[in-house]
This record gives sequence, structure tokens and C-alpha cells, in this order.
Amino acid sequence: MPNYTLTARTPLDGFSHDFNGVSVTEVNGRSIVSIATSLGGGEALSKALAKTYKLKIPEPGKSTVSSLDNAVLLGMAQDQTFLVFDDHTEDKPVDVVSKHLKDTAYFTDQSDSYVMLRVSGENSRSVLERICPIDLHPSVFPEGSVSRTIMEHLGTVIVHEKANTFLLMSARSSAKSFLEAVEVSALNIG
Amino acid sequence: MSQINRIEGGLINRSKKLSFTFNGQSLEGYEGDTLASALLANGHRMVGRSFKYHRPRGIFSAGSEEPNALVQLRTGAYQEPNTRATVTELFHGLEATSQNHRGSLKYDFMAVNDLFSSFLSAGFYYKTFMWPKAFWEKFYEPVIRAAAGLGRLSGQDDPDIYDKGFLHCDVLVVGAGAAGLSAALSAGRAGARVILMDEDFCMGGRLNVETLSVNDQSGSEWATQALAELSAMDNVRLMTRTTAYGAYDHGIVGALERVTDHLISSENKPRQILWRVYTKRTILCAGATERPIAFGNNDRPGVMLAGAVRAYVNRWGALPGKRVAVFTNNDDGWRTATDLAAKGVEITAVIDSRDGQPPVDVPKGAAIVMGGRIVDTKGRHGIRSITLSNGQQIPVDCLAVSGGWSPNVQLTCHQRGRPTWRDDIAAFVPGGELPQGMSVAGAASGNLSLSSVLLNGHDIGNSVVSDLGFTPSKVKASSSEEETTGISAFWHVRESKARAWLDLQNDVTVKDVKLSHQEGFRSVEHLKRYTTLGMATDQGKTANIPALAVMAECTGKSLPETGTTIFRPPYTPVAIGALAGRARGKDFRPSRLSPSHSWAKEQGAIFVEAGMWYRAQWFPRSGETHWRQSVDREVTQTRASVGVCDVTTLGKIDVQGRDAAQFLNKVYANAFAKLPVGKVRYGIMLREDGIMMDDGTSARFAENHFVMTTTTANAVSVFRHMEFCRQCLWPEMDVHLISSTEQYAQFAVAGPNARKLLQKVVDSDHDISNEAFPFMGCGEITVCGGVPTRLFRISFSGELAYEIAVPTRYGDSLVRTLIAAGEEFDVTPYGTEALGVMRIEKGHAAGNELNGQTTARDLGMGRMVSKKKDSIGNTLSEREGLNLENGLSLVGFRPVNRSEELKAGFHFISKGNTANMANDEGWMSSVAFSPNLGHSIGLGFIKRGSERLGEIVIATDPLRGGEMDVEIVSAHFIDPEGERLRA
Repeated sequence: MPNYTLTARTPLDGFSHDFNGVSVTEVNGRSIVSIATSLGGGEALSKALAKTYKLKIPEPGKSTVSSLDNAVLLGMAQDQTFLVFDDHTEDKPVDVVSKHLKDTAYFTDQSDSYVMLRVSGENSRSVLERICPIDLHPSVFPEGSVSRTIMEHLGTVIVHEKANTFLLMSARSSAKSFLEAVEVSALNIG
Repeated sequence: MSQINRIEGGLINRSKKLSFTFNGQSLEGYEGDTLASALLANGHRMVGRSFKYHRPRGIFSAGSEEPNALVQLRTGAYQEPNTRATVTELFHGLEATSQNHRGSLKYDFMAVNDLFSSFLSAGFYYKTFMWPKAFWEKFYEPVIRAAAGLGRLSGQDDPDIYDKGFLHCDVLVVGAGAAGLSAALSAGRAGARVILMDEDFCMGGRLNVETLSVNDQSGSEWATQALAELSAMDNVRLMTRTTAYGAYDHGIVGALERVTDHLISSENKPRQILWRVYTKRTILCAGATERPIAFGNNDRPGVMLAGAVRAYVNRWGALPGKRVAVFTNNDDGWRTATDLAAKGVEITAVIDSRDGQPPVDVPKGAAIVMGGRIVDTKGRHGIRSITLSNGQQIPVDCLAVSGGWSPNVQLTCHQRGRPTWRDDIAAFVPGGELPQGMSVAGAASGNLSLSSVLLNGHDIGNSVVSDLGFTPSKVKASSSEEETTGISAFWHVRESKARAWLDLQNDVTVKDVKLSHQEGFRSVEHLKRYTTLGMATDQGKTANIPALAVMAECTGKSLPETGTTIFRPPYTPVAIGALAGRARGKDFRPSRLSPSHSWAKEQGAIFVEAGMWYRAQWFPRSGETHWRQSVDREVTQTRASVGVCDVTTLGKIDVQGRDAAQFLNKVYANAFAKLPVGKVRYGIMLREDGIMMDDGTSARFAENHFVMTTTTANAVSVFRHMEFCRQCLWPEMDVHLISSTEQYAQFAVAGPNARKLLQKVVDSDHDISNEAFPFMGCGEITVCGGVPTRLFRISFSGELAYEIAVPTRYGDSLVRTLIAAGEEFDVTPYGTEALGVMRIEKGHAAGNELNGQTTARDLGMGRMVSKKKDSIGNTLSEREGLNLENGLSLVGFRPVNRSEELKAGFHFISKGNTANMANDEGWMSSVAFSPNLGHSIGLGFIKRGSERLGEIVIATDPLRGGEMDVEIVSAHFIDPEGERLRA
């Protein structure tokens, strides 16, 4: 066995800060696995998801929630969902999902691909309207909605988790720039 | 002197006095004042000098159309020139100075220009100052430029911050006057999401400045009530100090919110926000702008628009003059006379260009001249008298002029719509095709009476929400008494002998327009450019129509036949800072940092920007004073022992599916279908036209699972290309793509000791010996006690090499571990420069060689384009032109005189030929100093290169100069047999 051990680092070293009416917090401890539905394999995957996670496959732009591993299934695109769930310390994310869903779909670990920021508080929409081009009004983007968009030139997935709470996922390599975009917005309002 | 022209009434807050300075003089105004109203209240009529002739100028209007009263606000780096006093909200501590004069405002040395006005007519610089020729650039032009112009920039960086944002609504109402408020009430009451924006800090538009009543209340009281109702609605957002400056594609509207311009300090908040408004419908309620009439010396301070005069009196309690005359061609102009008379102001005369009877009761004591003309005015620093065409002189200190009202159609024309003419109101109204989703209501649509404006706004509001599926409220429109709005077009006084100004901001006179016509400029666009009519901050809002009328007279055409110039955004000026928003300096674009970035920074690495990525270029060590020393050492040390390089930035694409192998077989030109599991293959990708697109490797981790690498530069375009193939070309294939570039931290470990180094971190149950893990092998292993890892036995350097990939969270730790574990081998980190040197030494093509012009054949890889299968670009790569006998081929080059340095960009000429385009045989694409060979080496393309090894050709650099003899050699300078990488 090698004499070396590797230490994991989060993209923003656990950033968390309260601004005027809004909190911005790095979300860690969650795995992300991309689930690609095989051609003609939708039914098998649906059954497996229903049986294990008690989940329906959401349409793109929607999400469904499971009590198993606090999993949330995000509808990302046609035949593609992201399962976001609590980390398992022993197993690799793809192995965790494979155990439940067997070979009903193609899985890819995306846990280290994203920085995740939770923006919450009464001013969360005011902060996001400075950088988010999509309409976040609850009548248009109700709780549970998911969208891929661009914020300050950076591809971003936004999830409306609950009232005034949004989860943002953006590329890990530009995490600092992404945080800066959100921070500046939080500082600039009101 | 304290507000000598302040009278009772108005919407100012007299309990809150505000101190400010103008040209250093301390003055006072009230909360609710604009700088213009406060200056007028303090008796300041003259506030600036004109653009060209440096004529004294005063406040002309009461809104954003102001051509004259441009001042410089604030000081130091915060200084902002060309600010319109008429829309500058007064604040405590405001510092304003007049601009465009040398010496004091009153005694401007440059006023001498006015004496030479006959030499300075339209286009004078095209005709004068032509001799001596050399004087133009060095003398005339600098002098003219220094004399002209408006304010001055501070020359310092703008210290303010700006922001941008996105707004969404069902209905955007632009303008919060009578029409806008009515429309917003209709839309808001129906439940639509409404944004109501107005450029003023006090919503209400002309309701705040007129004395007409609405629903038996004063207009301003009704506006206040309407705003209270709108404020209480959750579905309505009110935005004051916000100008909708442009109508763009798909119904998007650009708006500028001036957040802190009315405060002495921004307190680290954005000064302005540029909003992009996504709206389903826009109701443009932008009102109308009053026009002047041109007559002799109509530019003196004290000559103002009639509507502005009564606005200052009614809204701000500021008196522009104490003896006021009115010159009008319409009924509305008379309201100034009656409103001012009601306030006890002396109305000396009302001159109406129309014949007949006065349309309203004549103010007491005023001389009424129907069918009258003003031909001239007097007063050096402000109007003192007017002269009528009959020679009568009437003393005045203010002349209110009304040439009628022009609907503010600008935004309706931003998508190339052209306005149409209405004779009954002598004005252009919105016509043709409006921007997507736009309706127009109120005065902007040509409804010029208050009652029609209220009804029109209400109805359009209801109609728009109904169109969107909402049920309109049953509340009726508010109403007002019907006022008279008669007009008879009258543009300029022909009898005037003195210069008559059309465009006050650019000093364009009636004579200039006539001259322009005389000199052959028939199109209004040419007129504009020749005379500068309608340019600069006011964009000719008050000038354009009268000038076009003069032009129409010259050409004998009607005004609608003459047409208008094209209206383009912005409607009012937008600071460049606001357009930039927060994207300044390093915030201009995001940065992508590789997992080893922090560590590399600690090592003092020099970074290079590759797209958004920051990549370590080299790692200087103490004593190294030149980058070449560091790079040579990194190369030498890697080839001698082992080096580590972060290659995370290369694109990684996870390809899965039953048809994954077949899919790769189609997108790659070479065969992939039979690549065994656990193996990696180098692949080349062609564009549809047969030209090389990208190269990289694909590793097969399972029957249905490949991991592809792309070049850093093409990571996104290759992914996009493959998605296109998957979704559009071959939707019947079961294949799925996802980027894993961000997921893995990947390092190249290269050099003879690479395996030994890795063996120190790879968990013992994984065998990475040459036998178990040969060249071009791949596998999933674990390192450092169970960290899942992907290992690839591939080499870009030509050495025994691996690429090791761990989940990104471990990237920082892994590089530190590799360097620590490699200490016994004298491991070196190496950057992109050393990477480049080694790949050139090895003869590997990179971006310089895959430049979008070269084919696989040019690169010596023609045989890789498999003819046993179809693939993208395969057929078109067979085109004759791409397969010429004397086609290019990639070869190596070295200087005949080894001490000479090759340059990328050299062109090759056969010995004995002249260096010209006809004899050009190719170019040098990449060069490096090879520390292993001790001289400069290069890769390049030359005709029939592979057949010419050993030949000496001339390498020439006509652009930068320089020429040398170079020898054509194999591109593989190091280890041509590949023994090292298979070791």
C-alpha cells in the first residue's frame, strides 16, 4: 500500500456567507450521477426508478424528489437526468446508482464536475436577476423547476428548490469566477 | 441671491433645502428640483455655450430632449460631461460647471467664432483650411477639434461601478404619464405582471406639469393616486429614473436605471443598471416632444419651448422669466400664456402664426398678434426683446415657443419601422411594422389631448392583457375635460434675415440646411451627415422635424416624402460604463483554473491564458533569469528522469451506448470499432469537407464505454459536433455523450522514471508494468489507498508516459503527492512550453498544424483515413485538390547554421528562386529550441516535403524580415522508432 493519502478539496473550501437578505452557501456532500436513458430503454428505467427511489422520470425542466439518500432527480434534457443524492463514503457514486438501477441506463459520475451554490433568502431573486437571464418568478419557474442557462458567461444549472431558495450548479474549474458573480450581485442589490 | 425666481406652488418639497454650486457659486434649491429648475429659480438663464459658434445658451426644454443646457457634473474622476441639467435631479452638494468655453461662461474667448460664422457653415472643413496641405493634420484639425466639442472627460478611470440585469414581465409600460399610468392600471388590474418605467424621478409625466384635471382632481393628484394603486399590486413593478433606450429583437427592450445619480455618493452600490427586459408585450407611452419654430436669433438664453416654460412654473415653481411672450402655431402654446397669467406672470404678447381668432381667452394685458411672425431677437447673454415682422419690438425676458408636438416614435422605429405622417397634427406617428409585441398609446401614438390619452392608454392596456389571456377589469377609463389641440404647420420664419437655428446642439441653421441641399445632398441621411443635424446627446429630438421641413421645402417635396433619418438606439445617452456593466478588467470574462492551480501558484509558475483556462507555462527556479532556462531544464529533466504536467484542460468526453463503438467509427476517420477493451487509440477527426478538425485519443473502458480526449481548444466544438451527429445525423444509434472534462484532474507523468514514480502511488493490487500495462493501454485502478483512478498509457512527449486521472477533488492533493513521491527521481513539474518543445521534438501535430487548412494527408496521416468504412469527411477528403502530387506535407526543419533561430511563420522558397508569392512552397508552423539537440527545430508544411528530406531551402520572413537556409528533415527529431514510449 502506498505511503501517501489523497485529501479531497471542495471547489470553494466550504464558502458560506450571509448578505443583505440572502445567504450564499457552497453545497457539499452530494453526489451527482448523470443518467442517460438508452434508446428504447425508458420503460425499464422508469420501473427501476419507481421501484427503488420511488421516483418518476421528470420531464426536462422539472425535478422529482426521493426519500432514498435524499435524492433529487433533475430533468436535464431529453433522455438525460441528473440524480443528486447524499454521498456514500464507501461506494463510488456510479456504483451506488448501479446497485439500485442495475444496467437500465448509462451512468456517469459528475460529482466533481460542478460547484454547487445555494442562494436563499427573501432577496434571492433580486440577486439572481442581475446574472440569470431566465424568468425565476414562481408563476413561470415554480418550485421543483430546473433549467440550464448562462450566468456571466458560465453555463449554469438552476434548480428552484423551495420558496426563495435556488440551487446553482456551474463548472468546477470556474467556481471562483462563478462565486464572484453571485457575490457581486448580492453586494450590489439594495 | 436666493431663488429670486421661485414662486408658489409646484411639486417640490420646500421643507428640504438643497445646496449646490454652479460654476463655483453656491446656490439653493429644493428636493424635487432638477438642476435646470433650480438654476432658473436662482435667476440663471445662461448655462452654457454652443458647440460651434460658442453662442450663449440657456435652458431650452424641461426634459431629456434638452439640446442646450449641458453641464459637467461632479469633479475629479467622477466628473461627467454633457449631462442635461433638465433631467439632473438636484441633490445636496451637487457641483455643476458649464462647459465649452475658454475664460468665464459670460466672457468666452472662443465666442470670436461667432464673428467668423460665415466661414464656419455646414461642411466648412471640407472646403476650407485646404492650404497649405501639410497644415491640416498638424494645425487646422487640432485647433478646430479643440475649439469645438462639448464637455471634457476626466481622463481617469471611472471609479463608479455599474451592473446589468434581466427583467421579465407580461407587459412593459414605457412612460408613466397619463397614458402609461392608464395602461399600467388596466394591465395590473387584470393580473398581468407589469413593469412600469419612467425616465423621471417623479412619475406622472405631463400630468405633473399641466393644470388640466383628471376625474375632477389635479393631474398630479390623480397620478399619485394611480401610483398608490399600482404600488399596492404585487404584480406591478414601478421603476423610476429608468429609461427604455432601445427596442431590440424578439420584443426585448433595453433600459437604463440611474440608481444613484441623484445621490452625492453611490456608497459602493452600482451607479446605473442596464436592464434587458424580456416582455411579452410593450406599451410605449413615451409621450411627445415639443418642437421649436426657427426664426432669427432664436437661440438666445430665455428662448424656450412653451411647454417647458409652463412646466417650470407649474411643477417646480420656478419662473423662467418675468415678462414672457409666446410664439406658437397651435392651441397648446396658448396654455403657457394662460397658465402663467394665472400665476400672475406678465404675458407681454402672444404671437400666433395662424390667422383667425385666438383659440382661448386672451391673457389680460397681452398683445395678441394673429398671423404674426417673430423675425429677430435681441439680448447678448439673454433675450431682451423680440422683433416682429412688422418691425414692432416687444421687450421680453423669456420667449415661449411652440411649433407643435412630435410623438416620441423612436422606439417604434428601432426595428426599421418608419413613421407615417399625419397632417391633422402636423407630425409623424408610429407606422408600419412595430417591434415585436409593441403597442403605442397616448401622445406617442398621436393622441394629443389629455382625454384621448387617458382613454387610449386604458383601452390599449385592456386590449393587450386580453390578447395575453387575462380578463380585463371592468373599471372605466379616467376622464378629463376636452382641450383644443388645433395646429397649422409652421416651421420657420422666412422673413428672418438673421441666422435661424434648427439644431441648437450642433449649431445647424436654416441656412445650413439650404446650403446642404444646394450642394447636392438630397437624402435626409446625407443632410444629417453633412450638417451634423440630429447628432450628439439629444439626437435632434427638437431639431429633426423642423429641419426636415426646411429640407422638404428646398426639394419641393412633402414632409412625408422627405421622410426621417433612421432611428437607432439609444433613445437617450447611455454611459459606456453602463454598457460594460461589471465586465471590467479581469472581470471581463471568467477564469478556469486547473486543479493544480493553487499548487502551481505556490511554485511561482508563470501562467498563460488558453481560452478561459490558466495553464502553467513554466516553473522558474531560483537562479533562472530567462524563461528558456526554465523550459530547457524542464525538458531535459523530464527526458532524463520524470516530469509531471497538468493536462486537465484537454477535453474529455464520456461516450456510452450500445452503438458507442460504431459512433466513434463514424466520427473518427480511422477505425475504432474493433478497439479492444483496455486499449487507447489515437484518432483523427475530419470536418465534413475533408479538412482536419481535431485529434485526440479514445480509451475503451468497457464494451459500451469510451472516454475521448480532445485538444483543449476544441473541447467544446468537438462535443457540439458529436452532439449534432448523435441527435441529427444518426438518431437511430444508442449513444450518449457527456463531458467529463471537469470531473477529472489529469496529469501527464512522463520520462524514463514515470513508471517508478507511479508505482509509489498506485495501490499494490494494480500492476502497471510494461507487460501488464503496455503502451496504449488503459484501465481503472486505485491510488493512495483506494482513490478511484483512470490510468492511460499514452505519450505526447515521446517518453515512457502515463496520464493519470483522479476525481477533481483530489487533483490538488495528487500533484503534491506526485512531486513528493518523485523527489528521489528529481521529478520536475513542466508547463505548456516544455510540453510544446517535447511534442515538436517528437513531431506531434498540434493546433498550429491543425489550423483548419490542412488535411490528414498533409499531416502524413493520409493512410489513417480508412477506406474500409464511411466516416465524416472521408468522401470529401478524396477531392482532387486535396490530393495533389505536389501537395503539402508535414516535415521537420533545422537551420543549416545551427546557431540560427527558426521562426514560426517562415515561408519556404526553393534555392535559387526569388522570394515571392508565386514561389511560396509552404510555411513553418511550429518552432522550438531543442535542449536535447542543442539547436532550433521546427515543424512545417512544404510541397512534397516527405520526398525532399535533406534538401536545403530558403526560409524567409518578409513580414518581420530575415532569411536563412534550412534543411528539410524528418519531423521526428527524437526517438523516431518510438522505443522510449514503449519502454
